[in-house]
Amino acid sequence: MPFPLAAFGVLAALVAAGPAVAQQRQVTVVNQGGAPAEAQRVAVFEPFTRETGIRVVVDTYNQELARLRSQIETKNLIWDIVSLNPINEAAGCEEGLLEKIDWKQYIPAKPFDAVGGFGACGAPYLISPGVLAYDSDKLKGDQAPTSWQDFWNVEKFPGKRGMLYQPDQMLEVALIADGVAPPDVPKVLTAPGGVDRAFRKLGEIKPHVKWWRSGDESMQLILTGEVTMGYGWQGRVLAANATNKRNLKIVWPAGYVNAIIYLGVMKGTPRKDDAIKLIQYNLSTPAMARYADIMGLPPANAETYPLLSEAKRADLPGQYLDRGMMQGGSTYINFWLDNGDAIRQRFATFVAQ
Amino acid sequence: MLALMAPSVVFVCLVFVLPIALFLFRAVDNSDVPRALPKLASVIGTWNEGELPPDPVYRALIEDLTVLRGSSELAVLARRLNYALPGFRGTLTRTGRMLPAADVPSAKDALVAVDAKWADPELWAVLRQQTGPVTDFFLLTALDRKRDVAGEIVPVAGDQAIFIDLYGRTLWVSLGVTLFCVILGFPIAAAMARATPAVANWMLLGVLVPFWTSLLVRTTAWVILLQNEGLVNRTLIWLGVLDTPLQLVFNRTGVYIAMVHVLLPYMILPLYSVIKGIQQSHLRAAASLGASPLRVFLTVYLPLSMPGVVAGATLVFVSAVGFYVTPALVGGPRDQMIGYFISYFTNSAVNWGLASALGAFLLLLVAITYLILGKLVGFDRLKVR
Repeated sequence: MPFPLAAFGVLAALVAAGPAVAQQRQVTVVNQGGAPAEAQRVAVFEPFTRETGIRVVVDTYNQELARLRSQIETKNLIWDIVSLNPINEAAGCEEGLLEKIDWKQYIPAKPFDAVGGFGACGAPYLISPGVLAYDSDKLKGDQAPTSWQDFWNVEKFPGKRGMLYQPDQMLEVALIADGVAPPDVPKVLTAPGGVDRAFRKLGEIKPHVKWWRSGDESMQLILTGEVTMGYGWQGRVLAANATNKRNLKIVWPAGYVNAIIYLGVMKGTPRKDDAIKLIQYNLSTPAMARYADIMGLPPANAETYPLLSEAKRADLPGQYLDRGMMQGGSTYINFWLDNGDAIRQRFATFVAQ
Repeated sequence: MLALMAPSVVFVCLVFVLPIALFLFRAVDNSDVPRALPKLASVIGTWNEGELPPDPVYRALIEDLTVLRGSSELAVLARRLNYALPGFRGTLTRTGRMLPAADVPSAKDALVAVDAKWADPELWAVLRQQTGPVTDFFLLTALDRKRDVAGEIVPVAGDQAIFIDLYGRTLWVSLGVTLFCVILGFPIAAAMARATPAVANWMLLGVLVPFWTSLLVRTTAWVILLQNEGLVNRTLIWLGVLDTPLQLVFNRTGVYIAMVHVLLPYMILPLYSVIKGIQQSHLRAAASLGASPLRVFLTVYLPLSMPGVVAGATLVFVSAVGFYVTPALVGGPRDQMIGYFISYFTNSAVNWGLASALGAFLLLLVAITYLILGKLVGFDRLKVR
């Protein structure tokens, strides 16, 4: 196997080394595509290329860790920088798919304390809140939901509910609906009986749920009225409003789930230095402010907040920060790494019954 | 002749037979575990199933983990063993971090002090069962079975049992799709065979254009047509046939509609070529001997077109069994087929052993169907002409 692969490598190098791109430095970044990726291109990658001359190539994936593993195992790296959810950051780091980097050497650590600081491999670059959203043109006044208890109340608020077809985030939401304060959710979920309690609560709403798999789908369901209200990611809600001129509303006080998204460097990439440079740039306050201005997602870098416009800050959880549940901390991450497979299987069985 | 065939035989072996064989082997391959734990693997038979092992076994584990400590192999091993026992990953990584020295007086006490789970016979039963060069673990998991502490094969807990239902559903949906394809495809093929060449060509084009269109495009188009606010529901409501929209997509109905549409050409094309070959004189002879049109159809036309029906049905069924994109897009969570989970375990969960085991049983399922069909109608009739 090594020989043909090496031959391919040589061939690829020859093809890539055409005169036009000779000596052009470039790094390849992979993220989840969609509106957030477009915002990152405009706010981060393009100015980065202008300032450093390093070209940035962008690819898309759906957090499939297998695609990192196959590149590492075949020693055929396509990507240099990977966008990672908290669980994949931890798993990829442990299994040697990512470079272990002491980010404190490159980036001031303090502004990132609020999101739990740097990982052993990844540096946090954005927070993606998962929220309760509804169409405020359809539900008005006391017809509008104000809590996850309302979301579960199909008598007062008839109709279907949109929820993510995946247990992480949904078990957390179920616990919030069951009366757990969002910051306590990791503790309750990881304690004995926590998962059973969450599944019991999910079971109450299950007959009324339309499960969605992609961010686009989650907004489609609310926009077309297939569901009365739904779980969705804040970035998608804002994008749906902007492109469709609609008034979907986020119920921040109900409580929400915060996923912290990291950037990590692929293990063994020859472009490690340039990759670190780009991540450093991505996490710098001005780049984060530009990104937050386009995307409206809460920046991981706390120093960014004062730079945002008043309108943008109004879109952010702001005063409801204590209603957010962080998908982080070693207990929580280890819990999912230990039990994720079994819980996902249970979830698939649960939903299909 | 042999020399002429050699390139294609070599090609088929290299890109078809060999990858499938390697892939099937993954379902039982367990060499990673004994390679990571060589000392433990050498003493694995020295205690009874269901009991705690003697001290030298604990010591062998410490020695193996000393070598692995801090490496990514330990994490990979931990993930592998975690499939068999949720929580094993945590125990193993914690032990790797706080590893006692190999020369402690009691290796057992030292390990139990790090994590009390090391005094749990279940954990050791898993290690004992998972340390051989081959394993039946993935194959059993794919059948909702596992080995208990005593090594007996038992069903998994109800909330984990998922795959048997999935195979049943896959089989059921595929049979349904095949049946609908026969019912819808037969009249079309028959009409095409009877039409004048010019008309038949246009009809053939009508069958082929969707056939040439990308599967994703067609599936997505069905979502747009069938959704609550879609064209079909709006028209029906506008015509006054319905008051509230019918749920046509994201459920089993949507899966049937989209899959039948995607697979219909596979039914029509072989059927058309067979029906086209039926001698009109046979039909006329039957009629001139006094048979009613129904009788002509049942005793002459239908038996003569049977090879086409069987060939088309086989093609449709075998393709349907492996579908996953279409059910994923137009079905709900209750309509996912086994292909969806094979892709999930390959790409997302990175459990390639289980993906291979699920694939192996899918292959077996297709092979059994083929054998049954072959026995029923004769293997020579299964050929697609």
